[in-house]
Amino acid sequence: MSAIGLKLFPLRSRHVLPGFRLSLGFTLFYLTSLVLIPLLALVIRPMELGPSGFWAAISTPRVLASLRLSFGMALAAAVIDSFFGVIIAWVLVRYRFPGKGFLDAVIDLPFALPTAVAGIALSTLYAPNGWIGSVLAEYGIRVAYTPYGVLVAMVFISLPFTVRTVQPVMAELGLEVEEAAATLGATRLQTLARVVLPMLWPAVLTGMAMAFARAAGEYGSIIFIAGNIPAVSEIAPLLIITKLEQYDYAGAAAIGVVMLAASFVMLLALNGLQSWAAKRR
Amino acid sequence: MSLTVDSVAKKFGRFPALNGASFVAPQGGFVSLLGPSGSGKTTLLRILGGLEFADSGSVRFADLNWLDMPARTRNAGFVFQQYALFKHMTVADNIAFGLKVRPRNRRPSSADIHKRVTELLDLVQLSGLEARYPSQLSGGQRQRVALARALAIEPRMLLLDEPFGALDAKVRKELRTDLRRIHDHAGVTTVFVTHDQEEAFAVADLVAVMKDGRIEQYGAPADVRRNPKTAFVSEFLSA
Amino acid sequence: MKKRFLKPTEDPLWLRLFLGAVAIAFIAILLLLPLALVFKEAFANGIGAFWTAIKEPDTLASVRLSLIAAGIAVPLNMVFGIAAAWCITKYDFPGKTFLVTLIDLPFSVSPVVAGLIYVLVFGAQGWFGRSLADNNIHILFAVPGIVLATIFVTFPFVARELIPLMADQGRDEEEAAATLGATGFQTFLRVTLPNIKWGLLYGVLLCNARALGEFGAVSVVSGHIRGVTNTMPLHVQLLYDNYDYPGAFTVAALLAMLALLTLALKSLLEWRYADELAAAHRH
Repeated sequence: MSAIGLKLFPLRSRHVLPGFRLSLGFTLFYLTSLVLIPLLALVIRPMELGPSGFWAAISTPRVLASLRLSFGMALAAAVIDSFFGVIIAWVLVRYRFPGKGFLDAVIDLPFALPTAVAGIALSTLYAPNGWIGSVLAEYGIRVAYTPYGVLVAMVFISLPFTVRTVQPVMAELGLEVEEAAATLGATRLQTLARVVLPMLWPAVLTGMAMAFARAAGEYGSIIFIAGNIPAVSEIAPLLIITKLEQYDYAGAAAIGVVMLAASFVMLLALNGLQSWAAKRR
Repeated sequence: MSLTVDSVAKKFGRFPALNGASFVAPQGGFVSLLGPSGSGKTTLLRILGGLEFADSGSVRFADLNWLDMPARTRNAGFVFQQYALFKHMTVADNIAFGLKVRPRNRRPSSADIHKRVTELLDLVQLSGLEARYPSQLSGGQRQRVALARALAIEPRMLLLDEPFGALDAKVRKELRTDLRRIHDHAGVTTVFVTHDQEEAFAVADLVAVMKDGRIEQYGAPADVRRNPKTAFVSEFLSA
Repeated sequence: MKKRFLKPTEDPLWLRLFLGAVAIAFIAILLLLPLALVFKEAFANGIGAFWTAIKEPDTLASVRLSLIAAGIAVPLNMVFGIAAAWCITKYDFPGKTFLVTLIDLPFSVSPVVAGLIYVLVFGAQGWFGRSLADNNIHILFAVPGIVLATIFVTFPFVARELIPLMADQGRDEEEAAATLGATGFQTFLRVTLPNIKWGLLYGVLLCNARALGEFGAVSVVSGHIRGVTNTMPLHVQLLYDNYDYPGAFTVAALLAMLALLTLALKSLLEWRYADELAAAHRH
């Protein structure tokens, strides 16, 4: 490594500040041993199944159902959180009222709270005899131990992403375009719909993508409130753990690879969104 | 149908931005509010546009108590220094905006809107740029779009807040001439804020020199230059 | 003296009330109710019962294990974060974007997958499984595995905080120090560190909160041996699954208090040191 290093960076130091090799070396070592090699294991392991074996491993009804549940509910949660996230961000940025600072800080709660704590709290809350669950039960709605429990947990866990991506963009909007719209005869609602919301669109989509990515991989806050019934309310991460406990390493890794691939696609989509948004500026 | 501004005053917190400004302009006149920053000229303009509220004073225009109307109903076209174009809309959509948001009974047909947009683009010499986005235009072009957009609603008053401030000298001169030409063609009462006295004198029929929230002198450019009434006015004009 | 109506940039009252009510109700129901529930359940039988539950040996063991995991992971990740931010922001070299993507990776990966990858490397059927067993070294289902998983899920925090901050601050001061003869370490300690100290603290705060609260990744590598390989979140699960709700919520309340403390400190740092925190925080 350092022979190549000397070749690429000749003895006449190309860097003004000292410490390049040390800092880069340590960083690369850390990342390689901690991230790259284990990830490599993840990608290589399913290969022992061969292409058809891999396909068989991930296309069983149970696996497909878990992927559908994890990704499908994550998408629904992302949409719900985006909708309420825009409203919440607007209220936080544009309105003034006592206690706003507290409300603003509380948004980060799902971010700071350990997922297991959120898990047992949500489970108890939405159980048939819980504070909210009992109210819903009177209308015949069951949340805990059903796929809807998964949705509620995901909406909880992803809210900070949608609010915090839109909030700074809203704060920077500047009032002139709204003033211009008013002088041109638009009502307030027309201004919000035709001028303000379209300008927020890229940020909303970015937040939605981040919320989706987080919710799809979430585990701790979901397993207590979901029913964890295979093919009904079992999320993909739980299935990975189940397979590990059965020593089906390759099968678990196969699902892991699918989730990792989905994360990569999300990351690429996000980067694409950022550059599209930057071009429109 | 003159524009009568009477003792308009406004405070921001404890800072008195306007200390009683008054002037009268004839229908179709071109007034320039001229002064250094902090003189209250932009505040007065924004009050005329409905973007700020006066604490006291009155404005009468077209037989209306101007200050009793919200911005939306005044039909006063406003051109901002930083253009305030709708970045997510094309040039054509920007210009058509004021027509598209009208209530159904007053909204022209899309064919008419399209025709009007084309006419306006011709007027501001931007024909052919309908499908461009603001980010693809130069500063001068953006301001022309802003002007066309304000004119689209057939305003009875045109208000411009240092519209050429962000542009370079050559573009400023061109736009200044075009603005005057458009004003003469449309006959719309125009109020134009600037800190550049050369600009004010070149383009306006009447100049109001402002300081500390008051109009120090008001009159035709030639008169003001020849007979400055206060020390401030003569110093400001000779600078 | 004249009709006062809304500025063109203000929403009408009915809209403000409606949106405000929706926002507050949503936050209260979704976020605050669960939090309230945790404390209500933990203290349902009084503070005495709360303390007794905490002093339970297995609970104390879980607290100890959590502290050990965080105590190792956080300093290590702090050093990593500094090194990574330093080499990314003070030098130009090819492959920087790839490096940054790699650093962001744990954020986009499911925590279970994070644990899974270590099982694939160190587990009984993993790459090093056999040789580890032969030498009687236990990584999985023991403290080292837990520490590793914790390091993985928390290492981006400090780096992600420092990279935009140090990029924003530029290289001028460090280059000046270099021309004056300072070594790399001297430059870092005397010039860079004072400039980044609040950003560093912020990153360490978030890193620590996540390290103590991580569940999914640690769950995979832990083995769940009561009193031995359970961190606090895992212990919460164990108590809950065994229907010991007061116990479970007691430990949960402890973690929730930590979360609230983290939020309070975070807000304080954001408010007082907005300029010294990464550009993203200046809202």
